[in-house]
Amino acid sequence: MENLKYTEILRLNAKLALQSKGKVYRIGILANVTVNPIKEILEYNCRAHEIEPLLEIGNFDNIVQDSAAGGDKDLVIVIYDLFALIDKQQYFGPRTFDSLLEQICLEIDTIFNNLRQQAAVVFNLFSAAGFAPGYGTYTLAEQLADRLNQYLKDKCPSNTILLDIDKIISRLGVKQALDMRFYYSSKAPYSISFLKEYVLALQPQLLKQNGKLKKALIFDCDNTLWKGIIGEDGIDGIEYAKSTVPGRYFAEVQQLAARLSEQGVLIGLCSKNNPEEVKEVLQKNDALLRPEHIVIQKVNWQDKANNLAAIAAELNIGTDSLVFVDDAPFEINLIKEKLPEVLTFQVPEVLMEYSYQLEALVNRYFNTHPNKEDAAKTRMYKEQSEREASKNAFASIDDYLASLEIKLSISLDNIDQIARVAQLTQKTNQFNLTTIRYTENEIAQLMQSADSFVYALSVNDKFGDSGLTGVCIVRGDSKNTSTARIDTLLMSCRIIGRNIEHVFFNYIVNHLKKEGYKTLEATYVPTRKNMQVADFYKMKGMQRKDMHSDNNVEYTMDLADFTPSKYNYITIQS
Amino acid sequence: MPTIAERIKQTMSVVFEVPVEIINENSSADNIDNWDSLRHLNLILGLEEEFNVSIPDEEVGNLVNYKLIELIIHELVQ
Repeated sequence: MENLKYTEILRLNAKLALQSKGKVYRIGILANVTVNPIKEILEYNCRAHEIEPLLEIGNFDNIVQDSAAGGDKDLVIVIYDLFALIDKQQYFGPRTFDSLLEQICLEIDTIFNNLRQQAAVVFNLFSAAGFAPGYGTYTLAEQLADRLNQYLKDKCPSNTILLDIDKIISRLGVKQALDMRFYYSSKAPYSISFLKEYVLALQPQLLKQNGKLKKALIFDCDNTLWKGIIGEDGIDGIEYAKSTVPGRYFAEVQQLAARLSEQGVLIGLCSKNNPEEVKEVLQKNDALLRPEHIVIQKVNWQDKANNLAAIAAELNIGTDSLVFVDDAPFEINLIKEKLPEVLTFQVPEVLMEYSYQLEALVNRYFNTHPNKEDAAKTRMYKEQSEREASKNAFASIDDYLASLEIKLSISLDNIDQIARVAQLTQKTNQFNLTTIRYTENEIAQLMQSADSFVYALSVNDKFGDSGLTGVCIVRGDSKNTSTARIDTLLMSCRIIGRNIEHVFFNYIVNHLKKEGYKTLEATYVPTRKNMQVADFYKMKGMQRKDMHSDNNVEYTMDLADFTPSKYNYITIQS
Repeated sequence: MPTIAERIKQTMSVVFEVPVEIINENSSADNIDNWDSLRHLNLILGLEEEFNVSIPDEEVGNLVNYKLIELIIHELVQ
């Protein structure tokens, strides 16, 4: 998008709007300045990623009121411009500094409080870039920006991300980012360049909430991870040393890939080479990208589209979760042609920009706020490959599963797990019976409510700990106290295929019986991705009620009739 | 290479969401419904990027018809 002119964006957006389909992603923008040109740019960037936006820009300089008016949004963006804020004051000086600071802090509290139920909020940090800078001194505007930003950081709720627009302004330069002509005529200080970069800064959030973040970064080898071609230059003829040029540009990329693997990005190789030779290179002492960073590799002489499809299948992720890096236009075009959903990155001709451009792309497409679970993901995927490998060695699947020594631990309404539970409801698509998305606040409320239960499932086996990977939310019925209803039942695809769901379900039924419930109700809400659980409740012996016109399938069961399935090799730890 | 006139009309067409054929010498804020103050801002931004020029502050408010736009763009690109 960064290479498109504004008018091109307008034209492409109008074209994409005609093909719009699917669930809408509701965005609200609250601002104290005019930001209307952002509308088409943001819409375009959503539509380019197959997200259908419904964008509403609040009333001019009405942030506090509009935040209270609410309405359910998937994302609320708060643009509180410091220049306009100070400009609005009759007088701004040492005399009024403290009272202004106090007033804005109060407003921030109110805005945060009003928006606490929204799924996600992006709040811009204040920037003093519109004012004349004090280099050796500390201007009042700079002081105000810093004090307000500190306040924002101290008070930032868990559903809110603070976006540092100073980074955008310093990247573009103040003169290119802010256009004061339009501030004075229309209160619109931000230039198109700024707004484009800003929309790119929002992109990870858009992708995250719509399950479209990338997961794996797959590299070609020759002229991509090192300068030269093993087959022509020989193992000793290729360059990736920090001390050489152009070797050092490749060293930077290897270093980047190694670091990303530690931050939960899955790193893989897809290269036409002899596997032994590539292995030899990676095992050399001076290589920065080491075998332990690489989760998967397809180093062979087959076509790369098939290899990438196989990589996605083995990692149990969609091909649309892959980013592929190669130097050859032929390979890039082949992938664009055969697997258009794979994001491709061609090594730039100006090698000096290679690692910077790649990192900028990664920052826009991957999860850049890794929590503990994400960081451990590389290890878990590696363990999964090892599990896949040992699968072949057992006579029956049950023998294999028994050998895994699967242990479950199930906790109830544990407030330490709010963040991860909410994250799972946001991210899980395949094993998810109702696909209801919850915010952390909503999970907290469910946990605290007396007639609802939030069960969280953690799994470990002899290969390692998969962490918190399953959630079930059951709500009591306020009218009929003997009936409980499964609101949410989901499991991460990392633990599917081991009969864990059945043991989890047994546990929940047992617990509900002990709580005095007699009847259990549940709904299957079909989506494009959750076909695999269409018959789950039927398999559990639940009776099907009417099918609604909206395709949802309703089930009911007398808890006394429930026969638990036996999987003796799965134990529940208390 | 499209002419300056064609490029102006193209930009106006995209910004105001009207077919390019209906934009002519007499087009103005009076006869294009979508030409409101917010779209006027978009028009200026679109023209500046298209021609890689900066339209002076004092002219921004005046460019309310096709003829004036063509005049100033010709001046700026020279």
